[in-house]
Amino acid sequence: MIGQRVLRVEDKRFLRGEGRYVADIALPFMREAYVLRSPQPHAKIVSFDASAALALEGVDAVYTAADLPASLTPIPCRIPTHGDMTPFLQYPLARDVVRFVGEPIAVIVASSRALAEDAAELVAIEFEPLPVVADAAAALDPATPKMYPPGNIATQWGFDLGKVDDAFAQADIVVEKSFSIQRHSAMPLETRGLIASYDKARSYLEVWGPTKVPHTNRAMLARMLGMRDGDIRFAEPDVGGSFGARGEFYPEDIFIPYFAMKLGKPIRWIEDRQEHFASINHSRECTFDVKASANKDGRITAFDVVLVADLGAYIRTHGDVVPSHAAASFPGPYAIRNYRVKATAALSNKTPSGTLRAPGMFEANFAREQIIDMMAEKLGMDRAEIRRRNLIKPDEMPWYVGTQSVNRPTLFDSGDFPGLFEESVSHFGWSAPLAKGEGPVRRGRGIVALVEPSGFGPFESARIEIDPAGFATIFTGASNQGQGHETMLPQVAAEVLGIAHDRFRVRHGDTAMIPYGGGSYASRTAVMGANAVHRAALAVKAKALAAAAQMLQAKEEELTLDGGRVIVTANPSRFVTLAHIARVLTPGNAELVPAPKDFIKDDHDGLTGEVFLRAIPSGTAVFSVHMADVALDIGTGELKIERYCVSGDVGRAINPMIVEGQLVGGVAQGIGGALLEELAYDEDGNLQTGSFADYLLPSSHEVPRIEALVVEKAKSLSNDLGVKGCGEIGISGVAAVLANAIAHALGTGARPTTLPLTAERLLDLVEPRP
Amino acid sequence: MTTRDVSFTLNGRPATLTVEPRQTLADAVRQHLGLTGTHLGCEHGVCGACTVLLDGDAIRGCLMLAVQAESLSITTIEGASPPEGLGVIQDAMQRHHALQCGFCSPGMVLALEALFAHTPCPGEDEIREAISGNLCRCTGYQPIVAAALSVAEKNRANLGAAAPSA
Repeated sequence: MIGQRVLRVEDKRFLRGEGRYVADIALPFMREAYVLRSPQPHAKIVSFDASAALALEGVDAVYTAADLPASLTPIPCRIPTHGDMTPFLQYPLARDVVRFVGEPIAVIVASSRALAEDAAELVAIEFEPLPVVADAAAALDPATPKMYPPGNIATQWGFDLGKVDDAFAQADIVVEKSFSIQRHSAMPLETRGLIASYDKARSYLEVWGPTKVPHTNRAMLARMLGMRDGDIRFAEPDVGGSFGARGEFYPEDIFIPYFAMKLGKPIRWIEDRQEHFASINHSRECTFDVKASANKDGRITAFDVVLVADLGAYIRTHGDVVPSHAAASFPGPYAIRNYRVKATAALSNKTPSGTLRAPGMFEANFAREQIIDMMAEKLGMDRAEIRRRNLIKPDEMPWYVGTQSVNRPTLFDSGDFPGLFEESVSHFGWSAPLAKGEGPVRRGRGIVALVEPSGFGPFESARIEIDPAGFATIFTGASNQGQGHETMLPQVAAEVLGIAHDRFRVRHGDTAMIPYGGGSYASRTAVMGANAVHRAALAVKAKALAAAAQMLQAKEEELTLDGGRVIVTANPSRFVTLAHIARVLTPGNAELVPAPKDFIKDDHDGLTGEVFLRAIPSGTAVFSVHMADVALDIGTGELKIERYCVSGDVGRAINPMIVEGQLVGGVAQGIGGALLEELAYDEDGNLQTGSFADYLLPSSHEVPRIEALVVEKAKSLSNDLGVKGCGEIGISGVAAVLANAIAHALGTGARPTTLPLTAERLLDLVEPRP
Repeated sequence: MTTRDVSFTLNGRPATLTVEPRQTLADAVRQHLGLTGTHLGCEHGVCGACTVLLDGDAIRGCLMLAVQAESLSITTIEGASPPEGLGVIQDAMQRHHALQCGFCSPGMVLALEALFAHTPCPGEDEIREAISGNLCRCTGYQPIVAAALSVAEKNRANLGAAAPSA
């Protein structure tokens, strides 16, 4: 079953409109919430008057920070950071100051969402505007007024590996360039939402809507509200995409459940799209100043990087993880020993920043891969050749970059980077001539190589239960936002147990069914979730063989598990099915464990297997190559992607169809980030992006045919299945490869260094102007 | 808030709803009838997740008021699906892995239903145009296009029609 293109079992309900997303759930006596958000980027709240709103029939309550427990702390940062982030944390509802447009100030609860919105218009708030820190440049300027007593910089850190200054002094060439990546976000098609319901008498709070890391966030809610973990159930419904942005512990994750408890009725909050633009974690906004050196033979000798990230108004649960990853992994798949980086996490009056698919890596690849092209140009060397000469070789694995991010060493456990590189270059036909441009059209070709750290721990769990009818249930600690886990995980178990994959069901994301779970991010479901399921299946197999040996009066080594049956290898007519074994192993069944005569004793615990796996901290690493041909109209700035190929060494593809889907979909999302998407602010800190008419997602017209080359060259050496994951490599190299192809098309040394690559920006690069 | 009655044909059966005049068609079918396959992704008419069929044409359920549906015929994904299993377009989408999170899928199916209703054998350009108002964040559209092309191919074989130039 592993390696087969099994069609997804979850598709049927989605295609029939029977998916159950959070907005599709309703509870008796449920009320609807609207979150009143700050229209001000930075201001004191001078007065707040909700009396007119409360007078409206059907309005239950208008809650503010004063209605939250007085002891409530700000939302903690849950990921290790560089330094103390305490001064920059956000309270779930603003107390006396708001620091970004969209910061929650009040929650209006009413009989309908429409009524709650009507009521919001009757709330009178008086603000006293404060000076705005518009961006990172302003944050770094000592003359800018301080948002916080310590200032406008959350933290600074760095690495200084090898002898960078010596390398520059001795190098044959040195190049320098600055790069700027725009603020954008994951933008899943389903907005966020929550339903919270509290059974006060039984002390049981149920919350539907959490995803990505439900167990982690349940623990945070329990800690912040002084509740017991076991008194809270987080349940993941169907989820319309996450791409990294749904796992923060958001302000709503605290106050919606709390106010449901306070009101004594279920509350549903469904974000609208305009709200989403201001309230989902933003991401990516940063600049890189890069200096790099190489010798005449193309050997890169050093990188020196200044990274400044604009993390917005508060540090939230994900801390400085995005620039942290970028700083730790900037050298990419190349054998670079002289590396220096100075990183700054700056604060500004914008929506707080968090993760987005390939966090920090999309950004770093954009800068590094352009610098490498600049060195190739300066050396007069082919752009594939310079990469070839610097890739980490198989015999250099495992490769420790020498950096750490969130307390994890940046370490590549395995890889045949040159092998996949050559296969990709050859598949694409890198050396084949480009079609000539006609009229104002200039054609160019780009190539980038990258490595994506993946499969982070710390742990994952899986439990498999076989019932007496031979059906199986997998309980996974991983969560699901559309990736196909309900199909992929059964494939892994089916491989071991020989039960058809469609006899499995997968339960996920529900803390009432699953005691511990790590969730889904960084391709960890393939790496950690699938390996946990694999070992749980092996545990079921061991238990089945032991029971079958008793049932068949044979030795275990004489038995084989095949096609859902345990057979006597030498005499296949003698067998028992897993269903039969499950029946025998049901607690209370007397066939193998007769009732004791005079004292209680242990019983069977079903045909089940349960495992908890610990990951190595560095996870594994996925190598990928992107290549593209573009046609740029230097009269209009219009860019056409004429060919796009992404390759990835995923170690082992559990379901190649799903892997290809991740790669192609990742590229499409990357095209958005490279060419279209921007959360734009004016100089006064006002968010200018309010709808999909302003924030352009790639449509069927913008995404070209994308070739995905999935290879299984170098299995991961840090897990049983050898898998490496595939969620991030598709998006990670898109801006980089398109920029390199555009620079090649221009052929003048001009280079697109600022994202997104709009027609206007590309026209500015054309010299002389036609 | 005042309400009005609106009567229309919904998924082939008569329906009468009492709605606020400001309520959208998408909200009405979701909230009054529990037909939650019509999704709301933007409520600005851009994303297409709320696509429903109005007398066979794909329209935005979020841009039409429920009261405007008076005497018209509306089909939602629930009405466009067979009683069990998958229809032809849905089946092709599953076979081509043309969905991941599934949030855009009902709208995508209906946009393609509307296309195939008047163009049984569309080419790639016509397919891309037909779904250009339906955003998908997961798939990159390629497998959706491939699924639709496979349906077109099947129709062409059944009809014995010549391949379109597109």
